Amino acid sequence: MADLASELGPGGIEVVLSLADDEHLMGQQYAEWIGVTPFLEEDLAFCSIGQDELGHAALLYAVVVGDDGSIDGEAAIDQLALQRAGEDYRSCWFTERPTDDWAEALVRHWLYDRAEQLRWAQFSSSTVAALADATVRVEREEVYHRRHGDGLLDVLLGDPDSGPRLQSAVRLWAPLALGMFEPVAGEGEALADGVIGGSVADLRAPWMDMVTDRFGPVEWGIAPAQEGRRLRSSWFDPLMSRMREVIDLDPLALW
Amino acid sequence: MALYEVFLKRDGKDEYRHAGALDAANDELALVLARESYVRRGEGDRLWLVRRDHVLVADDDFLGTNADKPHRHHDGKAVAARRRAAREAAAEAAKRAEVSANG
Repeated sequence: MADLASELGPGGIEVVLSLADDEHLMGQQYAEWIGVTPFLEEDLAFCSIGQDELGHAALLYAVVVGDDGSIDGEAAIDQLALQRAGEDYRSCWFTERPTDDWAEALVRHWLYDRAEQLRWAQFSSSTVAALADATVRVEREEVYHRRHGDGLLDVLLGDPDSGPRLQSAVRLWAPLALGMFEPVAGEGEALADGVIGGSVADLRAPWMDMVTDRFGPVEWGIAPAQEGRRLRSSWFDPLMSRMREVIDLDPLALW
Repeated sequence: MALYEVFLKRDGKDEYRHAGALDAANDELALVLARESYVRRGEGDRLWLVRRDHVLVADDDFLGTNADKPHRHHDGKAVAARRRAAREAAAEAAKRAEVSANG
């Protein structure tokens, strides 16, 4: 058994998990559109973006477990990604909610990408080198994600049929999306250690400006009470059981 | 939506090759979608997209006449026959000259 040792303290772990779990669940949300997006080219693009997000989650989980590239490291990442109790996840409800509406999926894609652009940037000068390095790799892919979302919205927002459906999706997501900026309890410790460069709560106002620049005035509503991201929404268990569908067939199988 | 033809080129001396086609709402989305539809695994490092309706297409009839011009074509048989005849004539002449000298 290799000795895996995270460079992160408990606060750092919680902060990194809050982004990692969001990335992981978003990856799943994208993946659930396989075969059902409006046209083939979009199917490939949307699901590929989902794979990128899963990869970003894996990068972060690797830092959390202190992955050394060994089989034990991989097993620890899998365990962290799929086998924790619900209360040990630090996702926000915005990434837990499913949707089978394309306008909603597209709007969440845009809202999430803008938020994660700001969130990743907070790790760019992290004292944990693996995190700072990851921001560079991730941003190269995120440029594409943003261009994809903007390209579609540029065409669809002004369309008399699509425009109102997209605006209605913005109203649906607005309060949940504010939950992305709810800090975890360990954030103060992570800030003191230099794991992260600022509070996620500080990103909320600049992100809201980006959203209104893109969609016009938004009725924000009230962010969900996620108790420092310790409380899961009712959407979480069904989502997690879909994610674990294969591994649950044989939990002891070696992959 | 418009139809775009996709061309990829690998690094080095390879030429651009037709990779396929895709549907997209505009040029920007065509580029964005081509990246995931055709270049996800680094199949090329350069990408051209051409709108199908910008491609000039020659009429079949216009090209068809080039496949039916026997009067312009030759397969080399006539030239070969003439060269063979010339060789044989030269050999015959040399033989006659030899017979004449010895006689």
